Amino acid sequence: MANAHAQPPVLVAQGIGHLSRNFLREVGGVFWFIVNTFQETFERIQKGRVPFRATSFFRHTQRAGVDSVPLAGLVSFFLGLTMALLTGYQLQRFGTERLIPGLVAIGFTRELGPLLTGIMLAARIGAAYTAELGTMQVSEEVEAIEAMGIGPLRFLVAPRMLALVLLMPCLSTVSNIAAIFASSLVCKAYFSIAFPYFLDLVKDSLLIRDIITGILKSFLFGLLISAIACYRGLTVKGGAAGVGTATTSSVVTAITAVIGFDTLYNVVYTTFYPI
Amino acid sequence: MTTPTHMVELRDVQMQFEEKKVLDDFSLKVEPRERLVIMGQSGSGKSTILRLILGTLRPNSGTIFFKDSEITRLQRRKLQAVRQHMGMVYQYSALLSSRNVHSNVALPLEELTDKSRDEIDKIVDEKLDLVGMKDSKELLPEELSGGMRKRVALARALVLEPELILLDEPSAGLDPVIASVINELIISLSDTAKVTSITVTHEMDSAFRIGTRMAMLYQGKIIEEAEAEKFKQSKNPVVAQFLSGSTEGPILEGSLDAITKK
Ligand SMILES: Nc1ncnc2c1ncn2[C@@H]1O[C@H](COP(=O)(O)OP(=O)(O)OP(=O)(O)O)[C@@H](O)[C@H]1O
Ligand SMILES: [Mg+2]
Repeated sequence: MANAHAQPPVLVAQGIGHLSRNFLREVGGVFWFIVNTFQETFERIQKGRVPFRATSFFRHTQRAGVDSVPLAGLVSFFLGLTMALLTGYQLQRFGTERLIPGLVAIGFTRELGPLLTGIMLAARIGAAYTAELGTMQVSEEVEAIEAMGIGPLRFLVAPRMLALVLLMPCLSTVSNIAAIFASSLVCKAYFSIAFPYFLDLVKDSLLIRDIITGILKSFLFGLLISAIACYRGLTVKGGAAGVGTATTSSVVTAITAVIGFDTLYNVVYTTFYPI
Repeated sequence: MTTPTHMVELRDVQMQFEEKKVLDDFSLKVEPRERLVIMGQSGSGKSTILRLILGTLRPNSGTIFFKDSEITRLQRRKLQAVRQHMGMVYQYSALLSSRNVHSNVALPLEELTDKSRDEIDKIVDEKLDLVGMKDSKELLPEELSGGMRKRVALARALVLEPELILLDEPSAGLDPVIASVINELIISLSDTAKVTSITVTHEMDSAFRIGTRMAMLYQGKIIEEAEAEKFKQSKNPVVAQFLSGSTEGPILEGSLDAITKK
């Protein structure tokens, strides 16, 4: 290799350059992947045909959405419980336990609900999408679909993407409700806040703005996760081992992207709409 | 530039995978209703040629025509439209593993035509009958043997009534009787339905039964191209060795010495 004798700082700089170039290429790849999927789907709609069958779409919503309800509900329930307990004892010292309901409600609708759901779905559904499409790619099925004159992006990717984008907000809502419910139990048992009073406190503190923020985030995460997962699946190389690598990478990338975008969203949001 | 009247034409095609040159200034013309058979060693690039014609691979340089359309320049939308006039049978069948035989064959009809459920079922039955797979309609691809998959793949390729059909080793893995049935099917398609076919095969019997014209691919080029009878008599040492299956000749020269030395 040419850089065998290069100085360590040069190597580090080269490494960083290499990494950032790869990063940019991947970002561009996913971006164009989304654009092409939209294009292919709209071309199909322009011809006056349905882009994909309702049965195919509902199969994906069933798997991505309905089957994920127990997981999302349970994890959020436990997290809501813990959050209410931990903050409760701190707040109790200042005699402000009645802040617990608002804290949990705002914390989940704006932030934790979408984030948790995003992470869980990236692992549960993103991995499945990548493995499935990756296997189809290495067994030439995707090429065969293309060779028939069927657009693989609108046939394979569009129903998966739409299913996840539409179901993320629903699952986030499930997660929010589970967490708020859990915290109401804690409030009643440890801090003697009765359920009707709890509801009043939640209603007082929760703004429409918080709910809309959470839903917007959910849509965005759904798009990100499905795009990354399908992109990784369709670009698999190297047989069965390649599918394995791509699946791992899909989950890691999707979770990182979800957390990264969440941070970005929050920074932008709090800059333009403080408080 | 003149627009060709051929069914398929490849002009000066260069195809290279990383360092490895597979096709080198490769040219080929296929006339309408012709049944061309391409022979060549394993790994010589026969499947690659079929992929280039379908446009699922892009050449490094050169042009490829399907009738009047330049495959290498078409936009996605046009390319999809053109592909509906071609049928491809992949070497390893490439059936969709999550769909049963019936819905594999029905897929192009469901996605690309406005036919009703009943019409689709009728066409699917008819095509499956042609390849002798009518009784396996409900089976999944994983429940089929290799030869059965091949036949389902052929039925799927025929379902849109293509003008051109590309067959990658259609009779590999079939018993002699079924292989003959498939050969006769390919011949009758061009006789009755005016289908042009390009077949890749190693099996000499089916090659000479099917082919109206034979072509030999060697080191990235067509080195011999003739009517079946003339092809058999070819003086070209590579063709002669290939047809006879002899170890004496220019193909793999020296590898036999390596074996006997051990
Ligand atoms: N996707 C690919 N990436 C890299 N190299 C490839 C790829 N596809 C084919 N090749 C190479 O191109 C050459 C030709 O491959 P091809 O599949 O066309 O051979 P073939 O003539 O169909 O062989 P066989 O009769 O064994 O099917 C091979 O040497 C193969 O290594
Ligand atoms: Mg091959």
